[in-house]
Amino acid sequence: MDAISLIVKSIFVDNMIFAYFLGMCSFLAVSKNVKTAVGLGIAVTFVLVLTLPINYLLENYILKPGALSWLGEEFAEVDLSVFSLIIFIAVIASFTQLVEMVIERFSPSLYHSLGIFLPLIAVNCAILGGSLFMQQREFPNIGTATAYAFGSGIGWMMAIVGMAAIREKLEYSDVPKPLKGLGITFILTSLMAIGFMSFSGINI
Amino acid sequence: MALSSKTKAVLLGPLNKNNPILVQVLGICSSLAVTSKLEPAIVMAIAVTIVTAFGNVIISLLRKTIPNRIRIIVQLVVVASLVTIVSEILKAYAYDVNKQLSVFVGLIVTNCILMGRLEAFALGNGPWASFLDGIGNGLGYGWILVVLGFFRELLGSGTLMGYKVIPQSFYDAGYLNNGLMILPPMALLLIACLIWIHRAKNKDLQETTN
Amino acid sequence: MNTENNGYTILYASIMVIIVAIGLAFTHQSLSKQQTKNVEIDKMQQILRSLRIDADAKEAEEKYNEIIKNAYLIRPDGSKIEGSEGTKTTDPAFTIDIAKDKSKGLPVFEAEIDGSKKYVIPMAGKGLWGPIWGYLAINEDGSTVYGADFSHAGETPGLGAEIALPPFRNRFQGKQLIKDGEFKSIAVVKAGQTVEGQDYVDGISGGTITSKGVNAMLLNSVGEYKNFLLKLNAAHKNESEGQ
Repeated sequence: MDAISLIVKSIFVDNMIFAYFLGMCSFLAVSKNVKTAVGLGIAVTFVLVLTLPINYLLENYILKPGALSWLGEEFAEVDLSVFSLIIFIAVIASFTQLVEMVIERFSPSLYHSLGIFLPLIAVNCAILGGSLFMQQREFPNIGTATAYAFGSGIGWMMAIVGMAAIREKLEYSDVPKPLKGLGITFILTSLMAIGFMSFSGINI
Repeated sequence: MALSSKTKAVLLGPLNKNNPILVQVLGICSSLAVTSKLEPAIVMAIAVTIVTAFGNVIISLLRKTIPNRIRIIVQLVVVASLVTIVSEILKAYAYDVNKQLSVFVGLIVTNCILMGRLEAFALGNGPWASFLDGIGNGLGYGWILVVLGFFRELLGSGTLMGYKVIPQSFYDAGYLNNGLMILPPMALLLIACLIWIHRAKNKDLQETTN
Repeated sequence: MNTENNGYTILYASIMVIIVAIGLAFTHQSLSKQQTKNVEIDKMQQILRSLRIDADAKEAEEKYNEIIKNAYLIRPDGSKIEGSEGTKTTDPAFTIDIAKDKSKGLPVFEAEIDGSKKYVIPMAGKGLWGPIWGYLAINEDGSTVYGADFSHAGETPGLGAEIALPPFRNRFQGKQLIKDGEFKSIAVVKAGQTVEGQDYVDGISGGTITSKGVNAMLLNSVGEYKNFLLKLNAAHKNESEGQ
């Protein structure tokens, strides 16, 4: 039950994009059509769901102060938390590589339309952000961490797909010249974020 | 020291025509959540400038030795260690600000500006030019943060750097802080305004499609 | 030199990892003392703020040592755990984090301000986004709140985050935790509303969930000290009746 409420909360209330602005770079650049947006959304969710539990295990059994106590009493004092950032990003980078190879193998067309943004998933703030929030919020077990990753990924995907759908329709609108493209996208994101704020009072 | 026109372009370009946020749309992720107050925005700007500059120098020095296959990993490791060092220093000497920045210090690692500059500039240029490029991009990013932080704190809380600047008589006359300014969506709206102004002045940057 | 063969790549990666590891370990080692110190000072400042003393980081430690006279752990029934006394930062009362572990006992800090004794107890709860915590300073009668301080990890700036600011924490001064010999806690209500039979303060408008979190935190965390406070209250009553 907890997992379900966490998923719902991370999709609507704690949405990676609208509440924390994580993963904005690719959000703005790849939201021009729905199909690519769905592809990137799935890739992000996939990488999140894979890396967050791994980082959770690393955090709790190796990095956290006192996490090494399973090795024996003399390790109980060891604090490796200074390496957590490097290790998280290394895990994320290697998994991104993996996803990239898988997509290239099975869907070359998606691979081409995602272009430069596939390797950039490694530096997608949403993914590292997920791991850092996991560290900060101290989830009780790996199931919760995975549920959180899944919810955040779906939330991110929903945001980018919604954005792409709006931008497709926007083609026929008359936007002031200096606001064309980037500017209007920012304004749209802002309006969507205000809409999402109405979820913020919900207590699940 | 006189700067040649090329180094000048490297240093000053990112402040305006090549601004990482306004033009290249990089590094927005972490920039918005920390701009609800001026102080964390300034600290964040400084931190990013330092990391970009030194990351650029290190990669530029190593550029001939890095095996191409593990290039990205090497860059990430360099950036992540620099960010870890910055965050350790903040924790030790600017504890309060570090608390406000929370996870966003760590998220400097994934600030696209860093990787973007390392890939696009440091791998192909000498250390001095890379250093200037890093400083330029850091500042170009920083001034946007500071402007956002300035307006959001001024209009949202009526303070700057925590000090009250809007006189009490304004409040007595019915002036109210705009609470909406502090909320995340307004940061986006303010960036949109900045883009609007910037592109109205620089017509060549305007896009043709929505 | 060929930078693309496997041997070179592996060698390069290993050397890089070693250098980075040494560099980071060294930075951490040389700064960790200052960092722990900062965390301790931050906690001292919070305790002092609940006692209506605003100390900046430099003078916090001195003030803390001057004002906090005793600190110890108590059991849920309100009795003091022998051998747990000590005001130092390494003593159990200071190191125990009640959000994580209450099995060893509940910390109480005794302070003396202008000759009268105050009890400071820690609180921990949940806000909208994450943990909230704070300290409540209570007068000798075990009921009247002398002052309070609240902190949060990531409440919405301008809304929930207002709980950390003076206007909110000052609302608690002088409120009663105990009514007619029973522990009632202090309710945090929507501005303008009232509650029967217990003292209340106005919540943060727009920060409903965070206000509710503070309400629950007061009820639960302070509730754990119920027996301790009731004992103080009874003792205080006897004393004043005896006079």
